[in-house]
Amino acid sequence: MSNKTMQKMQPKKEAMPKVRWISLVVAVVVLVSLPFWGGDYIVNIFTLILMYMAIGEMWNLLAGYAGLVSLGAQAFIGLGGYSLAMISQVFKLPFLLGFLLAAVVSVVFALIISFPIFNMKDVYFTIGTWLVAEALCVFFQTWGFVNYNVGYNITVARRLSSTSVYFIAFGVGLIALLAVVFILRSKFGLGLMAMRDNEAASEIRGVKLYKSKLICFLISSAITGVAGAALYLNLAYIKPTVGFGIDWTVSMVFITVIGGMGTIEGPIIGSIIFVILRQLLYNFSGFSMLILGVIAVVMILVAPKGIMGLINNKTGFDLFGVKRKVKISDFAGIDAASAE
Amino acid sequence: MLQAVITGLLLGGLYALIGVGLSLIFGIVKVTNIAHGDLMIVATFFIMVIIQHIVGNIYLALAITIVIMAILGFLIQKFLINTVIDQGAETAMLVMFGLSIAIKNALTLIFGAGNNALPSPVKGINFIKSELVSISGQYAVNFIVAVVLIVGLALLMDKTPLGRSIRAASSDTMAAELMGINTKSMYVWAMAITMGATAVAGMLVGQTYSFFPYTGTQFLIIAFGVVVIGGMGSIFGTLIGGAILGMAQMIAAYFLGTAYQTLAGYVILLILLTVRPQGLLSKKMRK
Repeated sequence: MSNKTMQKMQPKKEAMPKVRWISLVVAVVVLVSLPFWGGDYIVNIFTLILMYMAIGEMWNLLAGYAGLVSLGAQAFIGLGGYSLAMISQVFKLPFLLGFLLAAVVSVVFALIISFPIFNMKDVYFTIGTWLVAEALCVFFQTWGFVNYNVGYNITVARRLSSTSVYFIAFGVGLIALLAVVFILRSKFGLGLMAMRDNEAASEIRGVKLYKSKLICFLISSAITGVAGAALYLNLAYIKPTVGFGIDWTVSMVFITVIGGMGTIEGPIIGSIIFVILRQLLYNFSGFSMLILGVIAVVMILVAPKGIMGLINNKTGFDLFGVKRKVKISDFAGIDAASAE
Repeated sequence: MLQAVITGLLLGGLYALIGVGLSLIFGIVKVTNIAHGDLMIVATFFIMVIIQHIVGNIYLALAITIVIMAILGFLIQKFLINTVIDQGAETAMLVMFGLSIAIKNALTLIFGAGNNALPSPVKGINFIKSELVSISGQYAVNFIVAVVLIVGLALLMDKTPLGRSIRAASSDTMAAELMGINTKSMYVWAMAITMGATAVAGMLVGQTYSFFPYTGTQFLIIAFGVVVIGGMGSIFGTLIGGAILGMAQMIAAYFLGTAYQTLAGYVILLILLTVRPQGLLSKKMRK
């Protein structure tokens, strides 16, 4: 590495932590105080952004870090939504238990399907997950226990103020974000990234492939399930074709791809764009999906790492610092040695 | 029971034709075309529009649509897939996923979400009608067209210089390039041919079922089923895969009722994927 690039890189590194902490503090203050100064409309928008960010992060954790491209994440949204509906409508229990049930059901279901699903490689995994979700959808339509394809009105949702739904969404978003940050900053996360970049080499270096992927899959499923319950607290009505609809995964893919796959900040940016675009074009719902589809395709063609990838390339900025930065002095030594 | 088996077999012909495009593109370009079902429905809508506004004859409309779809396939491969193919199969798959969503919503904006149908000269006519079995004319036509077209595609790939170049490009990209074959332009040809064949599948689907902009997904899953059973990339495998899937669905419907027909299809597929992840009929990949 030449001296010029070293000089270019050094000042960036020093400026980063300050910007990072300031933006994080500002974000937290704004989000916590939002219901006290924002109108109902703003609060609703942020509720949606937080929940979509949560599911986007979870899809990103699988696709961007564990190398598991799933098109069946809607299975867990549906399971979460139904957990909430069953707890509050059928068993008449406090609705917060629905979130607990959503996590438990999602983890158990993820564990069961992991046996067949993890046998499948690459594309087959993608198809397999989708088939599982579709099968679940058809099964719920024929299952009397969940009221066939009629579904449930989730009446508890109408009794809650938009502020309380907002704070639930805030909690879900925070859990999702913290989970991803902690996973990726841990040694386990380092193993994940090594696995994504080169499976064989990482396995030789001691990364347990199956176990790592399974843990990721279980965590992602649990939080997606909880987010599903939160989403249905907002939607207030669930039926199989919508709860298990591929549209959920479509939104996760768009959010991640547009924001930046394999970056933590990506789904945050992606969900803001996704929700705002959808609200702006609320009366033309097909149109917003059409535009998002085109943006996603163009994004992959011109900027495979999404908007965050562009920002990161230009400025070196990242909010959570999960990338292991190689110390320049390490390279300097090699450089000096090879120069001789 | 005999009726279920025969209907399933004939249905399998149509399924095979739907699946063959997905299989070819996976075998040659190594990309899972998630927009396959939607592109097929695009062809169906093209035929519908051409019949309604330009020419009345459905076969003439089909001929025009085959050309349009081939050009569309050419453009998609050249400007979308070829651009990202070096970044890996998953990236290309996500591009097609985005395209699939865009197509669905564009179709809904233009045509609305309602049901449509294509006219069919053989609709309502029974090919064979007896006490034991009855075969509808449409199913028989579907089966015959599918078998002829799939055999034709196999011959094209096997015997012609173009087919040989395409196979060379897919089986050993670097060697083919060293022999002076432009592999990416071979992919473009393969996609154009596949989309032409998909237009025929689109017509038969439009004649057999009612269709709407979101039907594509349902046929994509059928295509996946066919290809998973028959083995990704195998042309004749799709015929067997289609027949097995069709018969399994019909037999499940016979014993469990039509409500379980789709579920049975999914469950069979998942079991197959688990037991033989590389496809039922495909040879073990060389390590």
